[in-house]
Amino acid sequence: MHSRILVLLLLFTCFMIFPQQNAWAMHIMEGFLPLKWCLFWYALTLPFLVAGILSIQKTVKVDPGVKMLLGLAGAFAFVLSALKLPSVTGSCSHPTGVGLGAILFGPWAMSVLGCIVLLFQAVLLAHGGLTTLGANTFSMAVVGPLAAYVIYRLGERLALPRWLSVFLAAFLGDLLTYVTTSIQLALAFPASHGGVVAAMIKFMGIFAVTQVPLAISEGILTIIVFNFLVAHNRHELEQLRVLSREV
Amino acid sequence: MLKIDQYAYTSSLRHVHPGEKFAFAMLTMSICLAASSVLVPALVTGLTAAAIILGARVPARFYFRLLLLPLGFLVAGLLAITLTISREPDPAVYGFAIWGITLGVTIPGLYHAALLFTKSLGAVSCLYFLSLTTPMVEIISVLRRLKVPALIIELMGLVYRFIFVIMETAGSMYISQTSRCGYASLKTSFRSLAQLVSNLFVKSCYHSQALFTALLARGYTGEIRMWEDPRPVSRKNLALIALVDFILLVLVLVSWRWPV
Repeated sequence: MHSRILVLLLLFTCFMIFPQQNAWAMHIMEGFLPLKWCLFWYALTLPFLVAGILSIQKTVKVDPGVKMLLGLAGAFAFVLSALKLPSVTGSCSHPTGVGLGAILFGPWAMSVLGCIVLLFQAVLLAHGGLTTLGANTFSMAVVGPLAAYVIYRLGERLALPRWLSVFLAAFLGDLLTYVTTSIQLALAFPASHGGVVAAMIKFMGIFAVTQVPLAISEGILTIIVFNFLVAHNRHELEQLRVLSREV
Repeated sequence: MLKIDQYAYTSSLRHVHPGEKFAFAMLTMSICLAASSVLVPALVTGLTAAAIILGARVPARFYFRLLLLPLGFLVAGLLAITLTISREPDPAVYGFAIWGITLGVTIPGLYHAALLFTKSLGAVSCLYFLSLTTPMVEIISVLRRLKVPALIIELMGLVYRFIFVIMETAGSMYISQTSRCGYASLKTSFRSLAQLVSNLFVKSCYHSQALFTALLARGYTGEIRMWEDPRPVSRKNLALIALVDFILLVLVLVSWRWPV
């Protein structure tokens, strides 16, 4: 009897949380990580930010207009994250734009842009936080874009059809972001039975419910967006191709 | 369009020096995170709530609605932390067993979760204090004084400026698509949203070129300078911040030394 109530309670909480759950679920909230882990992730993100700033500065010296383009790209990414994404499961969620951004602007520019966008999301939308900015930047603006970019270029190298490499880049970029966040949470809160690995499985299990369908939806959306851009805006893409090679 | 931004511009604490508000939020947040008992985070939550509702005159209803926002993550995260899964039956675990696996919670686990809950609430409240009293432009000016690289500052200014333009564009695109049944089924929603995103992207590219041309026409040499309202530093506020944070810090140190 006692256990049945517990099961019911558990199921009830799951249903309470998950329909409204979305990509925001992967922003680690303000104050959730202990102080030392906040500092650790800030320190780990810093070299990527420095590399990003240096590479942007180099491009800006050649073409000062790139700065405006990056500013607009940041605003674009912010607005993108506020849009509703139709999900395969029927509930709505938000695109993260990690894959699309990395393919269009390259991973180095994304680390800087991502950090700025995450700061804006924390202050203006109350998603994520200032103390967890380092950790969130690492998972969403460093690991995700880097993975997406490498996969996309690898797909090109292997001469995969474009839709497949775009899908894989967006899908795996999302998935790796979520795995990174789970690792970050597990490192900060290891389980009493089984330590970090057990904690990671728990976090991944809880967030998989929302994140796997989301990654698939985002992959599909990115393919369609990319096809539209290739069909109608070849000129802009060619301009950016230069950008993504250099930045 | 962004409610938080709107309140930041109209709050009663608008004319306080942004550095003071920034320092208060960050110091209090750090102290809250360093706490090892429920007392200090609860105090921090109460203090910042009072500062937001009574000091900045933000409607209490809006503040509490904001507090509910991160609840989804908080509940899911706390669930993962408190839920103990073990192969062997453990007398300390309160729960049930399915197929030889014990699922349940422990008393120290629950205490830990409660502590984490109040700490997160306190920290979130500090963040809200900053974002509900200080407009983004002033936060950027504080960051500039803190010697954040000029490139980041400039990009932040551009992003902030264009969020509103792009958001309005996206909003009107969304409305016109919806009025043409663009989101009637799953398939059309994907198509419509993809069209929206790609159009938005092209519009952003176009805006950026137009902006660059406009800036060049006005003698842009790689730096955008903006006017900042002069805000006097108030000694009284500084003393108050120092006093409050000192008391909180002492409370934290006491709870470290003599844990409850």
